[in-house]
Amino acid sequence: MAAKETVKTICRNARPVMSSDLTEARRRALGLYRAFYRYIPYIIKYFDIPKNEQDCRCKLREYFYKHACVTDVRVIDILVIKGYMELKEVTHLWQQKGHVMSHWNPSAEPKPCDFLGKFLAGMD
Amino acid sequence: MLRQPLTRALALSSPARAAPLAVRRYAEIAPQPDKVEVFIDDKPVYVPPGTTVLQAAAQVGVEIPRFCYHERLAVAGNCRMCLVEVEKSPKPVAACAMPVMKGMRVKTNSDLTRKAREGVMEFLLVNHPLDCPICDQGGECDLQDQSMAFGSDKSRFTDIHFSGKRAVEDKDVGPLIKTIMTRCIHCTRCIRFASEVAGVDDLGTTGRGTDMQVGTYVEKMFLSELSGNIIDLCPVGALTSKPYSFAARPWETRRIDSVDVLDPLGSNIVVSTRTNEVLRILPRTNEEINEEWLSDKSRFACDGLKRQRLVTPLMADSRGNLTPVDWEDAVVAAARALRDCPPDKLLAVAGDMADAESLVALKDLLNRLGSENACTEQYFPLEGAGIDLRSTYLLNTGIANVEDADFVLLIGTNVRFEAPLLNTRIRKAFIHKDTDVALIGPKVDLTYDYVHVGESASIVKDLASGTSAHEVLRKLEQAKRPVVILGADQLKTQEGAALLAYTQELALRLQDKLEDKNWKVLNVLQRTASQVAALDIGYKPGVGALLSAGPQVVYLLGADSGVVTRESLPKDAVVIYQGHHGDAGAAIADVVLPGAAYTEKRATYVNAEGRAQQTLPAVTPPGQAREDWKIIRAISEVVGVRLPYDNLDEVRDRLSQISPALVTYGDVQNNNYFAQARALAQSLQKPVSGNLDVKLKTLEDYFMTDAISRASPTMAKCVQAVLKQKQSTY
Amino acid sequence: MAGALTRVIQGSKSHLGIVGPLVNINNGSVRYQQTKTKFGPLADSDRIFTNLYGRHDWRLKGALKRGDWYKTKEILLKGTDWIVNELKTSGLRGRGGAGFPTGMKWSFMNKPSDGRPKYLVVNADEGEPGTCKDREIMRHDPHKLIEGCLIAGRAMGAQAAYIYIRGEFYNEASNLQVAIAEAYQAGLIGRNACGSGYDFDVFVHRGAGAYICGEETALIESIEGKQGKPRLKPPFPADVGLFGCPTTVNNVETIAVSPTICRRGGSWFASFGRPRNSGTKLFNISGHVNTPCTVEEEMSIPLKELIERHAGGVTGGWDNLLAIIPGGSSTPLIPKDVCSTVMMDFDALVAAQTSLGTAAIIVMDRSTDIVKAIARLIMFYKHESCGQCTPCREGVSWMNKIIYRFVEGNASPKEIDMLWEISKQIEGHTICALGDGAAWPVQGLIRHFRPELERRMAQHAAAHGPSRAERLY
Repeated sequence: MAAKETVKTICRNARPVMSSDLTEARRRALGLYRAFYRYIPYIIKYFDIPKNEQDCRCKLREYFYKHACVTDVRVIDILVIKGYMELKEVTHLWQQKGHVMSHWNPSAEPKPCDFLGKFLAGMD
Repeated sequence: MLRQPLTRALALSSPARAAPLAVRRYAEIAPQPDKVEVFIDDKPVYVPPGTTVLQAAAQVGVEIPRFCYHERLAVAGNCRMCLVEVEKSPKPVAACAMPVMKGMRVKTNSDLTRKAREGVMEFLLVNHPLDCPICDQGGECDLQDQSMAFGSDKSRFTDIHFSGKRAVEDKDVGPLIKTIMTRCIHCTRCIRFASEVAGVDDLGTTGRGTDMQVGTYVEKMFLSELSGNIIDLCPVGALTSKPYSFAARPWETRRIDSVDVLDPLGSNIVVSTRTNEVLRILPRTNEEINEEWLSDKSRFACDGLKRQRLVTPLMADSRGNLTPVDWEDAVVAAARALRDCPPDKLLAVAGDMADAESLVALKDLLNRLGSENACTEQYFPLEGAGIDLRSTYLLNTGIANVEDADFVLLIGTNVRFEAPLLNTRIRKAFIHKDTDVALIGPKVDLTYDYVHVGESASIVKDLASGTSAHEVLRKLEQAKRPVVILGADQLKTQEGAALLAYTQELALRLQDKLEDKNWKVLNVLQRTASQVAALDIGYKPGVGALLSAGPQVVYLLGADSGVVTRESLPKDAVVIYQGHHGDAGAAIADVVLPGAAYTEKRATYVNAEGRAQQTLPAVTPPGQAREDWKIIRAISEVVGVRLPYDNLDEVRDRLSQISPALVTYGDVQNNNYFAQARALAQSLQKPVSGNLDVKLKTLEDYFMTDAISRASPTMAKCVQAVLKQKQSTY
Repeated sequence: MAGALTRVIQGSKSHLGIVGPLVNINNGSVRYQQTKTKFGPLADSDRIFTNLYGRHDWRLKGALKRGDWYKTKEILLKGTDWIVNELKTSGLRGRGGAGFPTGMKWSFMNKPSDGRPKYLVVNADEGEPGTCKDREIMRHDPHKLIEGCLIAGRAMGAQAAYIYIRGEFYNEASNLQVAIAEAYQAGLIGRNACGSGYDFDVFVHRGAGAYICGEETALIESIEGKQGKPRLKPPFPADVGLFGCPTTVNNVETIAVSPTICRRGGSWFASFGRPRNSGTKLFNISGHVNTPCTVEEEMSIPLKELIERHAGGVTGGWDNLLAIIPGGSSTPLIPKDVCSTVMMDFDALVAAQTSLGTAAIIVMDRSTDIVKAIARLIMFYKHESCGQCTPCREGVSWMNKIIYRFVEGNASPKEIDMLWEISKQIEGHTICALGDGAAWPVQGLIRHFRPELERRMAQHAAAHGPSRAERLY
């Protein structure tokens, strides 16, 4: 068992995705956050979405806090990479207005949670 | 038999088969003779003398292949697949028929044995068409499996280039069974089933040698209510299900264990589904109820689940036509009607296939609205003990114990069609135990000989009082394990209460004299799957008085047997129908609430002997149909008397509050208070004069009796075929 | 001694004696030394069937004149044990083909009674091709059979005898029925048979012409009114037989010789033939002989002498002989060189890889198409297989297909081994012995005439190219 753990650790340490330790990973994450943060005015401008900067910053913060508990360096790196990919899609306008708006998911309806509501909706 | 791998079949046949027998309290306890030691592949095993080699091998987990052998049928020994080498025997012996002898050494895996199996397998395949790709048995075929396991790896049937294989003309044995007789391997299981279990000697062999054919001697229908079982018994694809033909492969289907509700016995079934559609229903082994058989209605009526279904809530529009509406509208309409109705003008009627959960929900709703008028369609006399004592309305002996009886008296019931698998038990007792059977009621064909005592109800009175001069009375009194079965249909009449009282008197007079104090004599055979649960919950049996009081709102919970009609109701009465089929009930309704059928919900049913069992959802309810108890629960909330349960577990808690028996799944509670019931019934012993009559007299009456089977095209075909067969000279 | 005997029987379970030589059985209470070296011809005074050719009156009057029903009462009064012992002493072995010791078979019936009646069933369903001995007894000496029934019935304590007679034997059944009526009228059978105080009935049951009904359990089924399909053994008929009661099934000849054995003594009968093969026997000689006949002869008579003396020799002389089927159609044939030396008894023929069977000798000279002859026999078995069990139903018809191709030679030489294997797959794997009987002629053919089969295949291939059967190989 112990041997297995060691092997795991070695593997994890041996092949870092990008960052060698948590500090470095944190730095990268902050870099991503800043990059997004600075691009928010342009998002509002180019995509013409009915949101103001405050809304967008909240959403951005929400996404980062969603992963606040992640401590694995490799996972953080991957998330950062995916974040940059997302950013690139946005800056290059590969994404469209709908994509951006879907972060607020305006068409989602709250699921009923009372018995009658569930019954009428046909949910079990 | 479920098509299961041989290992599982064998596992079933040894310990699992022994267990229920051990549980059976009334099984003959013969003095245990000394066991014989035999060696199966050098493994010693102790078995009682008379055990066959095959059974002994099963005890040590050695599987011997077989085709003709079936544990519930007589041994034929003709397929020769089970040949095994026995030391000191020059020839291999048929394991299925050979009783063990002391010190016998059986070799199930020796060269001789393997050679013999391979030889037999080769011979079986010589004339078996290799049409597995288009054979419905493919994937659950004993021949396929065993030729993989025990056959040769190559063919040397050179004659395929010359004369080819044998071809046999297919037989037409009715709308349920498709025959492809070329595939037949002449194991004669079907013949033995027909003559031993079904009691219909329609099947047999004609011709000799290679020209031998299995079939009905003349072109006729296989007239049995158990015919579907020969499909399961057939080890190859010679007999397959006609409605299921070319429908699916076994590996494509999902199998869900469930319980049948089309007769009062609650046979255990497996529902095969694919893409949210019930494809077929197979029996599931339960030694206490259906063994491994299933009646035709339970098996083939499943196509009725796809037709005539209520898929959306409906409401009568201004012209009285039912039009589709939303659930919200329907529930509000129903709730409004219930709310505005004075409690004494409110009536709820539960039908044939209502489950215990919806029954309890409906009764709770009514009670909360201040009404006590929850009743069932089937009548049961309330005089005397009424439904207060469970033993008065149950099949107390138990289905499995009936086969230990030595005298069976049937009063006003045609068991053969009201509960086909109970009838097979009686037939089993008749054949194997020389049990005598007597019948009071119309003369019907029960598949075995019986003494017909008469049709008059007064015979029961004479028997009860001990004044009858008929020999049946003497036989009943001499019997060590008599069984009296009263058909619940007889209780509908004016004299029902008296008839029940006399039957109780008779049964308990007999019971008092018995040496075996645990043996129960009195049985009432209910007609529907819902009745026992409804009575347990406290429904009033019968709608008679309540209906004539002129109810304003009638809530029909799957009540389709036509007891409540528009003519019997006041003009302005509102009828709310909740159920799964557009049948008699929906036709008269103002509001229709689509419910789920028994294959679509997890629900509790209590069978005639008082055994609670549950169905499991095999498919989802069609369209907007909902589980029944939920509909009632939703209405209750809109009415403003919210029922205190939101999920199934809470409903079942409520059920267990009413009676723990309703949720002890698979068990039968011991019933007592016979003497009290008898004492309460003393005053009811009034003179009776009428004649007993049964509804289901012949086979054509059997097939279409409830909403599901009435909607089933297969069942309609059966009725047509039986009527056509009646015109035939054979 | 009886106890020892039973032990011997239970030790060797070969009830169907053809399967292997019955070496273990010490036949009867007297152990014989081989003293005789010459067997046959039988003296006229030693013949049991004195009206075999119907030259005398077959009715009761004539039968009495020939000594039938003489002192039957005394025999009956000597009791069960005496009769059974006499039969054991005689060493009589069943004449129906399997050759099971009769005295022993009868003694199985003398277990303590459990209240069920016992029955004697006489197998007169003589359907084996080549066999025609029982019909001679029934039409010319029916009283021997009826008296035998009575004595055998007494020996096993049976209530009644059922004579199951082949449907085609119309005249025989008629004669037998007349004889039974005579016996009843004379008080010889029926209530207080022969004045011995023993009640015994004899019934005739006519079959409907199925060879398989000659198998003892199929015969019982047929009498019960069911399809004539053999039952599984065990239980043996001695436990559960006709109508569920203990039953013994015996051949006509076995029963018919028993009165004479009782009258003249078992040791008289045992003085004929070799030990374990004692007695006299009816031989049917048919086929390519100058004067086909049925003749009573001593057991162990050399086959050649039998044919030369009674059947006028093989047509065209002994050298023209090709092969002989020595015991009815179900026994393997033996070629000429074996025929010259073999003795006609159970053990000698088993040693020659064939069997005495019913002692129906079918002689085939060189003009015979031996393959076709055997093929015709297989067709018979295919037609007569009851179809109950798989190896016989499927195997025999398959053999039939193959061997008819062998007749033309339209087959692969490799199929000869295959046919041999198929016959081995049938043999011993069936419920009754019909499968064995169908397999043996084929085995005999392959054993002795393989070159002939190969020659035909080569000839056919030369004329028509390789057979289609080669495709699978």
